[in-house]
Parts: sequence; structure tokens; C-alpha cells
Amino acid sequence: MSTYLIRRLWQMFPTLLGVILFIFVIFNMVGGDPAYVLAGKISSPEQIANIRKELGIDQPYYVQLWIFIKQVFTFNFGASWSTNELVSDLFKTRVPPSLMIGIPLLVLETIIALGMALMVAYYRASLTDRSIMIGCTIAQSISILVYIIFGQYYFAYKLGWFPVQGWGDSFFQNQFTYALLPILIGAAVGLAPAIRLYRTFVLDEINQDYVRTARAKGMSEKRTMLVHVLRNAAIPVITNVLVQLPGLIVGLFLVERFFSIPGIGREAILAVERSDFPVIKAVTVYVAIATMFANLLADLLYKVVDPRVQLK
Amino acid sequence: MSTTTPSPTRTIDPRALAAAERSPGLWQLAWKRLLRDKIAVLAMFIVIGFILLSLLSFFGVVAKDWSKEVGINYAPPVFAPNAEGGGLDAPVTVTAPSQTGDATALPFTFTTGVKDPLEAEMKEIYAQLGRGGASAPAAAAQGYVSTIVDPLAEDLAAIRKELGRPDPTGVSSATALGSGYKGSIVDPLAEDVVAINKELGRAGAMAGAMAGAMAVVTTAEKKIVRSPTLAFGGDKWGRDVLAKVIKGSETSILVGFAAAIVATLIGTVLGALAGYFGGWVDDVLNWFYSIFSAIPYLLLILAIAAVVNKKGVITIVLILGLTGWASIFRLVRAEYMKHKTREYVQAATAIGASNWRKMFVHIFPNVSHVALVQLSLHVVLFIKSEVILSFLGFGVGVDTVSWGSMLNEAQSELILGKWWQLAAATLFMAVLVTAFSLFTDALRDALDPKLK
Amino acid sequence: MTTLLSIKNLSVSFRIDRDTQYEAVRNISFDIPEKSTVALVGESGSGKSVTSLALMGLLPKENSKTSPDSRVMYKGKNLLTISSAEMQKIRGAEISMIFQEPMSSLNPVFTVGFQLGETLEKHANVSAAEARKRALALLEEVGIPEPTTSINKYPFQMSGGQQQRVMIAMAIACEPELLIADEPTTALDVTIQKQILELLAGLQRKRNMSVLFITHDLAVVGDIADHVIVMRHGQIREQGSVRQVFTQPTDPYTRALLACRPRVDTRPKVLPVIDDFINAENVAHASNTNQSGTQLFNPLANVETRTRGIKPEDSVILDVQGLSKSFYTKSGFFSQKEFKAVNDVSFKLHKGKTLGLVGESGSGKTTVGLTLMRLHEATAGKAFLEGKDILAMSEAEFKQYKRRIQIIFQNPYASLNPRFTVGQILQEPMQLHSIGNGGQERAGLAFELLARVGLPEASFYKYPHEFSGGQRQRIAIARCLTMKPDILICDESVSALDVSVQAQVLNLLQELQDEYGMSYLFISHDLAVVKYISDEVMVMSNGEMVEMANSDDIYARPQHPYTKKLLSSIPTGMAAMA
Repeated sequence: MSTYLIRRLWQMFPTLLGVILFIFVIFNMVGGDPAYVLAGKISSPEQIANIRKELGIDQPYYVQLWIFIKQVFTFNFGASWSTNELVSDLFKTRVPPSLMIGIPLLVLETIIALGMALMVAYYRASLTDRSIMIGCTIAQSISILVYIIFGQYYFAYKLGWFPVQGWGDSFFQNQFTYALLPILIGAAVGLAPAIRLYRTFVLDEINQDYVRTARAKGMSEKRTMLVHVLRNAAIPVITNVLVQLPGLIVGLFLVERFFSIPGIGREAILAVERSDFPVIKAVTVYVAIATMFANLLADLLYKVVDPRVQLK
Repeated sequence: MSTTTPSPTRTIDPRALAAAERSPGLWQLAWKRLLRDKIAVLAMFIVIGFILLSLLSFFGVVAKDWSKEVGINYAPPVFAPNAEGGGLDAPVTVTAPSQTGDATALPFTFTTGVKDPLEAEMKEIYAQLGRGGASAPAAAAQGYVSTIVDPLAEDLAAIRKELGRPDPTGVSSATALGSGYKGSIVDPLAEDVVAINKELGRAGAMAGAMAGAMAVVTTAEKKIVRSPTLAFGGDKWGRDVLAKVIKGSETSILVGFAAAIVATLIGTVLGALAGYFGGWVDDVLNWFYSIFSAIPYLLLILAIAAVVNKKGVITIVLILGLTGWASIFRLVRAEYMKHKTREYVQAATAIGASNWRKMFVHIFPNVSHVALVQLSLHVVLFIKSEVILSFLGFGVGVDTVSWGSMLNEAQSELILGKWWQLAAATLFMAVLVTAFSLFTDALRDALDPKLK
Repeated sequence: MTTLLSIKNLSVSFRIDRDTQYEAVRNISFDIPEKSTVALVGESGSGKSVTSLALMGLLPKENSKTSPDSRVMYKGKNLLTISSAEMQKIRGAEISMIFQEPMSSLNPVFTVGFQLGETLEKHANVSAAEARKRALALLEEVGIPEPTTSINKYPFQMSGGQQQRVMIAMAIACEPELLIADEPTTALDVTIQKQILELLAGLQRKRNMSVLFITHDLAVVGDIADHVIVMRHGQIREQGSVRQVFTQPTDPYTRALLACRPRVDTRPKVLPVIDDFINAENVAHASNTNQSGTQLFNPLANVETRTRGIKPEDSVILDVQGLSKSFYTKSGFFSQKEFKAVNDVSFKLHKGKTLGLVGESGSGKTTVGLTLMRLHEATAGKAFLEGKDILAMSEAEFKQYKRRIQIIFQNPYASLNPRFTVGQILQEPMQLHSIGNGGQERAGLAFELLARVGLPEASFYKYPHEFSGGQRQRIAIARCLTMKPDILICDESVSALDVSVQAQVLNLLQELQDEYGMSYLFISHDLAVVKYISDEVMVMSNGEMVEMANSDDIYARPQHPYTKKLLSSIPTGMAAMA
């Protein structure tokens, strides 16, 4: 187990270096001279030269790369170009709101989707199954933007059930007023693809021999589905959810933007709009690292839920 | 008695027998299965319809004039004429009765291509103020909107009628007339700048003066005939939403297919190499894959979009295509690894087939259905991604229209009760994407080689 | 004898697609008496498994249909019409079932104890603690070693034989009246098969239950059944007591099944095939000589036999010396674990002769074949083909030799490229080895070979999916013949085929050997088949050669204990009967 863990952490290095290199190439080489971006359109050559020196980009590439690597491992990306806020502070204040939306959303979505998936898979090939599946396809075909625009307009603006947007200082107020509609909209958007995916997981299991054995033993249909099938189908579901989490945190940027929630996703999109390179670089690198750890965690969890998996 | 010498070897022309006895291959069987699925056939027709529509739009047969202001501002759709149309800021339309309906081309509205020199400054101001993306920057990039009225057009039309002369296109006759036009040039930013100045309590410096000057130029627009209702309604500027949404389909289908083809090509070739050869080839390619899969997809696209900082269809196609191959790579690689050990490939090795032959002649036809289904799935994925990118302003330029940019406009319109642009974009997108997804599902089922 | 369960007019059909129905079982009726074993025998597609699933109510609901006049009467109730709640009370308690694949039939994520206890708690209404106590006793009864530790194991931690024992324990947990065993030993090695059969027979007597034993292998039936029912194409061809069916079969199909299977004690020159019997019957009917078909064709009498063996004067074509193949799996950081699949194996293959290679799963027999084909790289060893070591030569040099040594695989469904027509499959090796001059001549040669392996001309234009398993093996054989190889490796080439088809393919292989003088390396787990086709037999176990001798000698006088154990495991019921 511990050898496995060490080996897996060891194996992360090439990927991590790859991600760092990739981002470095994109931002420092492809992206043109950041000094011009930072200095704006109207600037004197002296200003540019000063900024270049400040950023260290008058140095050769390998020195720049080394600076970047140091930044990644010391968590010191300096300050945002547009707001002058320290990037580390930015993470500290922006990640919690994103988690407050993301985690309840994922839990809600997973529970509903798995329940629905079990049901439609049990009634597979029936009219119920087919109509729910087509419904899911249609629901999936509508842009997430429409869900948000319409949801915000109708439920918040028109009906007034929720605040239109905003975020306060109190955790409870945030979680139970401001976060509610974003969570519901996010879950609604994710539901259709999740049902479709989990249905295939359940269908994979439902045709297995052991399900036939359970029936042959006289187990009720309910027990067969909820104990035998669910326990097996849950394995890919759990890993799927876990691996999704880091991506979801930034993936919520649209919701955060519409509802003015100071989350990391909205921060990322603002940074992209303002060409705020330090922030984009930091978000990309750390989300990538989080994704790698989520993958590792998923594999470890696999061991817990599936006795067949042996970690070597 | 004639003796027939028995031929030592059989001489049968395979082609002679072929026509009569050839069996359907797996592709043909899959196609037949697909046609048996009624929903799939319907979906296929819808998709083909959309493709035709966008081809027509591409070649300028339909929706050519999407950027013309043919209706009143916020013209309501014909099926709901009593909807809150007309707009708050009623347009400067003069609807003097036209005696000469055939002077169709004049007056005409066009974008001058002269960019607003203030565009950059405006953008910065917007960023600073955190002001939501009003349409101004988009309009500014598009350039000034001019309306030119030919003073002679009316007379000419009347003379033509009298002489019984055929009516050439209004445009050519207009250009032939040379000078003497009356025109109006509207600064798209003027309104916004004035508002901002007011907000900041700033005296209208150069910008304000310029906007004012622009406004002064306005002269009598005699012949602007703007329709009070439009098929699907009109937008803020009175442009036909139907034309826009058709133009948007063109963009979506173009981006979706082109990017999906790029991604599928990259994913399939790399996946084939990695899966077939294994070893260090696989290690290197897998390393690439792990980099791309570690960064969440949308974040990756946005980061690259931020760096590239250049709008346009080709940019989007490249960004989506070059970043979207990872999942295809993974699947094709797995398929190749599976098939590599299959007995038919071992048999090919045993008879002395080369690696190239095994990879492309033997294995590829057996995994191509995976690539095809992935292609289909990615068309949908990329259409959706393009909409989000364009919504955020990283997508297509302002010289074209996308469902994403329509949704962006619709966002503020909805509050005013102008729901039709949102509805049109949503409906068109939902129909296309649903049809394409249903088709993909049916395709996957039909290709699923369960019969082995 | 009282009847426990009675099946009347059972018909089951499956919906293939909107307008195609497949009638899997057509109007069959039979009884299962109390306290006896009934064997349901048939080849693939005979409907035997469908029958068992139908009477358990386990047919897939979405695409199967049982005809309305079908009846499965048990204790005065029709099992096909009772409510699902009632059926659940019967399933697992009064009628229970075990399946072919024990590994996949057990839920992989629950312990053996959980799965056993679940059954007991449901039907016997006992507490969890009591269920565990009973589960331990059951594991003991079915012969699981160390029940107290085994009860906490997951299925994947057990061997195939133990998994099947757990399945049996689960099936007998609630003292059922009827145990249905659907091919319970087919996936198991022959030595394990024997143990499981003995266990089932013992339990049947001890617990006084009835057993419905479903199998494709008539040989197994002789050992354990009281009654035999033979099915083909969804219909019952013959039923009767085991003695009657084995000694005086009335149906030509039954007679064919009995005769087609190679036997250890005799070796006919040509194996009888199913058509011989069916045709004989038709001829008999046509000439109105009632019942004379039986006398006309007695499979067990007046058959020319073949003698086999290696004589000193036979020349050697392939000389294998010290062949080894190891696989490595990563363990820990830098270390890797070595698994010796083949360890220092040497043998000589004689020209025009067949060397049989027998062993149980994991013995390394298949690896020997693949290594000789260089589909795996040998770890050590030499293989001389006419004085040249084919394992040591470069890839380019080996290309010349590829056409001289060819292989036919086990799975006829996987060994032909599904996207190629048969014509393309046959012409490809000719193109690669420049055999034949131009497309016309190659096509002509392909047609000739199709005729030689007994396939119609039109096959040339067809795709593999249009052929049955036996036909596909013929195509695979024809593909090898295009290159006129000296050596043909048959890797379990007839194992996946039904008995009747197996005989046809074996006959074809023998004919081709007589005609072309090829040498065969015949790899199989089936001792009877190997005995039939081989001149010499090599027995392998755990990657090592255990014993090698002329085939008659090794079967008559096995020297090594493992060989003895293997031979004693061959089902002998039929031979004893005959």
C-alpha cells in the first residue's frame, strides 16, 4: 500500500512537469511578450523595458522556466496584474465559495441521477426508459447558458424565490440563500448527462451472471437492484464523481459569473478577460494538480469499494 | 467426338461471380440497422436539413442580410405581434409612404469597416468599471453603421417605369450615380459613452464631442422602411432574428464539424500509434495525454483563448480541435490494445503481415466505428463549447453571428421582456443538438458489433 | 416413482428484432421424478439452458416470451403463472440453481459469507449469527478448506473449483427439492470436473434431492444421471433411462452424439459424423426398410481403426531444445516478479506426425505454441527447423520461414478479421508471400482450397459473421493451407466446437495430414481428442513437461502420477455402459 502510494506520487512528477512546461510554453512563448499585455496599448519603450525586468522576462527561457517552477512549488505567484491582490490570497478567499456551490451540487446530482439510472435501467427498453432517455437527450442539448439565463430570470427575478445575485459574509446566509439557486441550476444541468452515464454503468452490471444468481437465490427485485447491482455500479460512479470535482470547481464559472459569486471560476474567467496571466497560470497549474490528486484518491477509493483491486 | 481438356486449375473470374453473390459487409448491415430505427432516420433528416441550411447560408443564398436592420428595434415576432416590441428607445425610423417600391436597394445600411478609434479605450473603461458586456464593444469593432440615401433613386425609378426600362439591381445603379448622397453615420458607442460620462460625472471630452458631432450629421432618412414585426422578431438594432439564427447555425455546424474532424484525426492517429506499439511510444503519447487531461477542458480552452487573443472561426476550430483529442486518444488506444492481442491480428502476424498492414488494413476497420461515434459526439461537444466561448466574447468575431453571441444579447433583452432572441437561439440549438445526439446514439447502437 | 416437477408443452421464443422471432424451445414435455438425477443433453442452440431458465422464471423479461399453453407444474402450481413474490419464495429454497461460470456467477464485491448468509436469512428466517454458523457448516460440507477463513474471502480469492463449491453450498443451503446445474463443470479443468461431479452425486444421495443436470457432454452424463433427455434445435429427440439411451439409442441424433466423440479406448480411422446417421436414417425411411438404419450404421462396430505412434525411422522436422518463456509483472519499485509460463521444455516433432500437447489451464501449453510462432519472444531455448534455429534468426530472415509454420487458434469467432471477406482472408497470405501469379490465379487457388475444406464457392464473397463456428475453423485451416506449411500448430482448435462439428474438423485435419504430409502440434485440454489424433503425447503441468511417450503407451501405461491423475479424471461412464 505505502509502496503503491510512493510510486503513484513519483509517477505524478512527469505529468506535473509536463503541465508546467505546457503552461510555460503557452504563456511565455506562444502568448507573445507579456510586457506589452501588461503595459497596455499606449506605453513607452522605457516602461516596457521596466516591466520586462520586473517580470524577469528579459532573462533567457530556462531562467524564466526555473522561476515559474519555483513559483509553483512555493505557492508564490506574486500579485494579480489587474487587482494587485496576492494570488495566494485570491485562492484563499475564492475557493471556499466555489466549494460551497460545487460539493452540494455534486452530491445532489449524484444521488438523483443514480436513483433515476437504477430505475430506467430496471425498466430498460420500456416506454418509460425510452422517453426518459430522449428527455435527457433534449435536456442535454440546451446550452447551460439558457438554464442559467432562464433560471435566474424566472425563479429569482420573476418569481422572487431566490435573490437574483449576490454574496454576503455570513456562511449560513450564503449557503442557504445565495448558493441555493446556483446549486439547483447546476444540478439540473448536470443531471441529464449523469443519468445517461450512470444508466450505462447500471446496465453493464444488470446483465452480469451474478445478478442472475441473486434472482436464482430468491432475492427480491428490490434487493437485487439495491444491494447487488448498486454496490457494483457504485464503483465507477464514485470514481467518476471524485475525478470530476476539480474540474467542476472551475467549471462553475458561468454560474458564479451570473450570480456574482466570488468563486475561483469567476476569478479565472475575469483573469482571462483581463489577460491577467499570473492568475490564469496559477489557477491552471493548481487545478491540474488537484485533478491529479483526485485521480489518486479515486484509485485509493477504488481499493476500498472493490475488493478485487490490488494496489501494487 | 470433340475432347474437352479439363483445365488444371480453376479459372473463375471472381468479378463475374461477385455481382450476384456478394454479401453485405458489416458497414452495410449497420446502415440497415440504422435505417430501421425511425427516430434515427428522423434525426438524420433534421441534421441533413441543418447542414443544407448552413451551406445555403455559407454561399449567401439565405440569411445574407442578417446584419441589416430590417425591422424596428425589438420588432416582435409575427406570431406574437402584441408582445412588448418597439423598444423603449424608439428608432429614428421615418416611414414615409414609398411611391416607388422598386427602389429596393436604397437606402441601404452597411458597415463601413472603419473601426472606431475609441474601441480600445472603451474596452478598458468597461473592464475598469466592471460594466457588463453591453453590446457596444461588439458594435464598435464592427465599425460605424451608415445609412446612405440616394437622392436620385426615387426619380430614376419613376423614369424607368415611364420608359419601360428593366430594373437593374439597385446597388449597381446607385454606384453609377456617383456623388450626391445623403448619409448618416451613427457612432455605435456614442450612446454608451454619454451614459458613462454621466456616470463618472465626467465632462464629455473628446469622445463626447465626437459622438455629438456624429449625431449632428443625421439628415432626413426618407426611405428607411422597417417592418413592425419580423418572422422571429428583431433584436435591439432591428436585425432579423431568423436570419441571425440561421447564420448562427452555419457557424455552429462549421465549427462543430471542423473541430471534431481535427480532434478525431489527432486522437485516432496518436491512439493507434500508442495502442499498437506500446512501449516508449505509448509512454510518450500517454504523457501528452496526461497533461491534457489534467487540465479541465474549459479552463484549457479559455487559457489558450486568452493567450491567442484573436477571434474568428478558424481560431476556435484550432483551439477546440487541438485540445479536444484527449478522450478520443484514450478510447482508440484502448481499442488498439485490445485488438492487438486478438487472434485475427496474431494470425496476420503469423502469415507475415507488416506492422503498417496490421495497424491500418486489419485493425483500423475494426475500430473505425469507435472513431466515427467519437467524431459524432465531439461535434455536439464542440457546438456547445463554441456557444459558451462566443457568449463570453472569446468566440467568433463580430463580423459573424453565433448562437453564443445571440444568447449574450438575449441575456439583457430578457429583463426587458424581449424573449424571442433567446427562444430562437435555444430552439435552433436544441433541435440540432438533440437530433445529432439521437443520431449518434442510434449510430453507436447500429455499429455495436455484438454479432462479432 | 412420484413426479416432482412436470413440464408440459413448454415453448419459448426470443424477439431478435421487430419482425424476427427465434424459437429457442418448441413444445417440449418431460418430468423430473423425486430423488433422481435427470440429464438434459444437447449441443449449443439446443434450448437446454433456456429450458432451465424458463422453469426458474429467470428468462429476460424484455425479449422472451413463453407460449400461453406452456406449463411447469410443481406441487400443484404452475410456476409460469404464479406471482413473482411466490416464485421468490420457491427460488433458492425449494428449487435452486448453479451456473457454468462460477467466477462471474458470484457477486465480486461481497464475501462468500455474505452471499451465503443472505440466502439463509431470506429463506430460513434465521438471525445473522445463526446464518453464519450454518454457512460454516455448509462450506465444510462442500469441501472448502478452512471454512472459518474462507467464509470471509471474496470470490476472486478462490480457485474456480472452490467458487463452484461455494455456488453449490449456496444452492443446497435451504434443502431444496430440486437442484438445477447448468453446465456446472464446463469451465473447469478435467480433474476439478471429476471432484465437482462426485460432490454433486454425493449430495444428491445424501440430501435426497432431485438434480436437473444440463450438459453438452454425454460422457459426463453416464457417470451421474438416472434419466437422459437429448435435445436438438429446441426439441426433445429422445428420452429414457440412462442405460437405455446409452445402449439402445433409437434416435439417429443420439446415436451420432454417442459415436462422434473420440474415445480413449478405440481409434476409428475416420470419426463418424452426424450426417452419416441422419442420412442413414433418411435412406432407411426412403427405402421403407423400417428401423434397419440402426443395424445399417452401428458406430461402435465394424469400424476400421488406425494405429499410431512414432517409429525410429521417422524423420524429425522441428527440434525444440530447452524452450523457456517467462512473463514479468511489476512488484514494488524496481523489482519484478517472474512467472515461468514454460520452463525448459524439449521435444521433437516428426515429419507427417502429430504431437499432442495436453495440460490443464495454466500449464503453459498454449505459450509453447505461441513462442514457436514467435508471437511471444522466447526467454531461452532453441527450435531447429531443418538445422536452422528459428528462434534466433532475425525478423527478416524469419519471414521466409513464416509460411512453413502456421497456427490455428481456439476461438473461431476471433481469429478471422470481421471486416474481410473470405476471399480477402485467403488471398492475403498469397499476396504477402507472392504465391500465385496475379489476382486471377490467387482467386482460383482460393476457390480450390474452399472446395478442399468443404465450403461452397459462394463463401468467397461472404464475411466471417455469416458462418458457424465449425465453418470458420475450416476457413482458418484454408488460410493456413494457402502457404502449404510443413508444421501446423492447432491451439485448442476444436475445443470451442460442438461434438458433432468437432468430429468433422478432426476428420478434415486428418485427411489434410494424409494428403500433404504436414506435421501437427496439437494443443488441447481434451484427453480423448488428443488420444485420437496424436502419434505422440506430451503432458505439461505448471510450465514443465511431465511425461512424453507414444500416445497408446501413455494412455495404457502412464508413468507419472500427474498423468495418472489426469487420465483417471476422464469421464468413463459411457465406456462403462457400452
